[in-house]
Amino acid sequence: MVKMTDLPTKGGFSFDLCRRNEMLLKNGLQMPPFRKTGTTIVGLVFQDGVVLGADTRATEGPIVADKNCEKIHFMSPNIYCCGAGTAADTEAVTDMVSSQLQLHRYATGRESRVVTALTLLKSHLFNYQGHVSAALVLGGVDVTGPHLHTVYPHGSTDTLPFATMGSGSLAAMSVFESKYKEGLTREEGIEIVAEAICAGIFNDLGSGSNVDVCVITKGKTEYLRNYQLPNPRTYISSKGYTFVKGQTEVLSTKITQIQHKVETVEGGDAMEE
Amino acid sequence: MGDSQYSFSLTTFSPSGKLVQIEHALMAVGSGQTSLGIKAANGVVVATEKKLPSILVDETSVQKIQSVTPNIGVVYSGMGPDSRVLVRKCRKQAQQYFRLYKEPIPVTQLVRETAAVMQEFTQSGGVRPFGVSLLIAGYDDNGPQLYQVDPSGSYFSWKASAMGKNVSNAKTFLEKRYTEDMELEDAIHTAILTLKEGFEGQISGKNIEIGIITADCKFRVLSSSEIDDYLAEVE
Repeated sequence: MVKMTDLPTKGGFSFDLCRRNEMLLKNGLQMPPFRKTGTTIVGLVFQDGVVLGADTRATEGPIVADKNCEKIHFMSPNIYCCGAGTAADTEAVTDMVSSQLQLHRYATGRESRVVTALTLLKSHLFNYQGHVSAALVLGGVDVTGPHLHTVYPHGSTDTLPFATMGSGSLAAMSVFESKYKEGLTREEGIEIVAEAICAGIFNDLGSGSNVDVCVITKGKTEYLRNYQLPNPRTYISSKGYTFVKGQTEVLSTKITQIQHKVETVEGGDAMEE
Repeated sequence: MGDSQYSFSLTTFSPSGKLVQIEHALMAVGSGQTSLGIKAANGVVVATEKKLPSILVDETSVQKIQSVTPNIGVVYSGMGPDSRVLVRKCRKQAQQYFRLYKEPIPVTQLVRETAAVMQEFTQSGGVRPFGVSLLIAGYDDNGPQLYQVDPSGSYFSWKASAMGKNVSNAKTFLEKRYTEDMELEDAIHTAILTLKEGFEGQISGKNIEIGIITADCKFRVLSSSEIDDYLAEVE
């Protein structure tokens, strides 16, 4: 049967399994931990637009899963979004809203506005009651001017002149609170953002590696991937990593012969053609 | 939809093996305003008449040629509202393809999916076939391409094609004028001349619409002043 109209998808969180989960927890089950990005992401508004910044470390518990991942996601040519929280959630939700913004642009024939992206994100996250673990810093410049917002996993948002999110947010915020002022120039803005991210990289274990910066102004966006590389690899051994045969000391030897298991089949049927 | 009195399909076979509703849909297309497309060596051009029902209509608010992705555009002949529905579905399908494969949708895939939608409406209950034929023009890794999709859901790749009121004259004209190694600029001139053939009244940038894809894979609709420049060149 053909759907006559595109019915709105029956979204929202299905609470069916929650009682089962509660029962399992009572019986002593350990919930598996989520894989988080453990991040420092920041944004600030300067005189001509917004600057977004992010570190590039993705963690799986105590292990660094990706030393140079991209946390600044494309939403539209004039809007970018930094994501903290569960990496899959931030990727999926920003991809989905980017797609919706593109369709909206075709329908209206206009440049996307930051509040549109904001509303699409917050409605989706609220529908999922915080189970989509995406904490975002959304920034961009549209016809109404430069905008910067933070979006929390439960769906609440703030509109701010400067913002930080992620496990390194306190380290980054300390830099912003002492150095931010209104009417910053582009160079000053980028410098403060890079400093804030570095504060996160060096003082928070969940953040590390390099600094990514994105500068959005009216009519122009510059994505400065790996703007700073404050953690170069300096520990390469000059001797190299090949090892001569016999270098490893043999402590003991035990040889077990393989015992072949022989099976005799009596009078089996011939294979059918 | 299942239990209503009209849940049978309106496109049922006639004794001679035809689907009469589709034939009628093609008649609706045939009485629509002429549109055409030409595939050049380095791009594609599509053009259509934009005859408005009255001089009081604000012609800047009417856009018959639409873009579906940055490198694919669509023009129609037939019922405007039907084409809007199809364009909307096309855009959504292109986005879904991109979300899934992280690759811009190839032109052939988009044509196939659009044709599948149009075919669905010929084999379902309570719906009627679309009263439009679409010309889908695109430029991807396989070069410039031009496809025509009919209300039945059949699609063909064309070097040059026309649809609507003046289809037979336009096609004869195109057959004479088309060359394999035509450049995009020549194709635009040929398109304008073909439209001029059957045009009633004074042709100008305000009553025709032209869309082009150039070798940089960008589809765009020409402004009326650009069309006036081309018209001056053609004179």
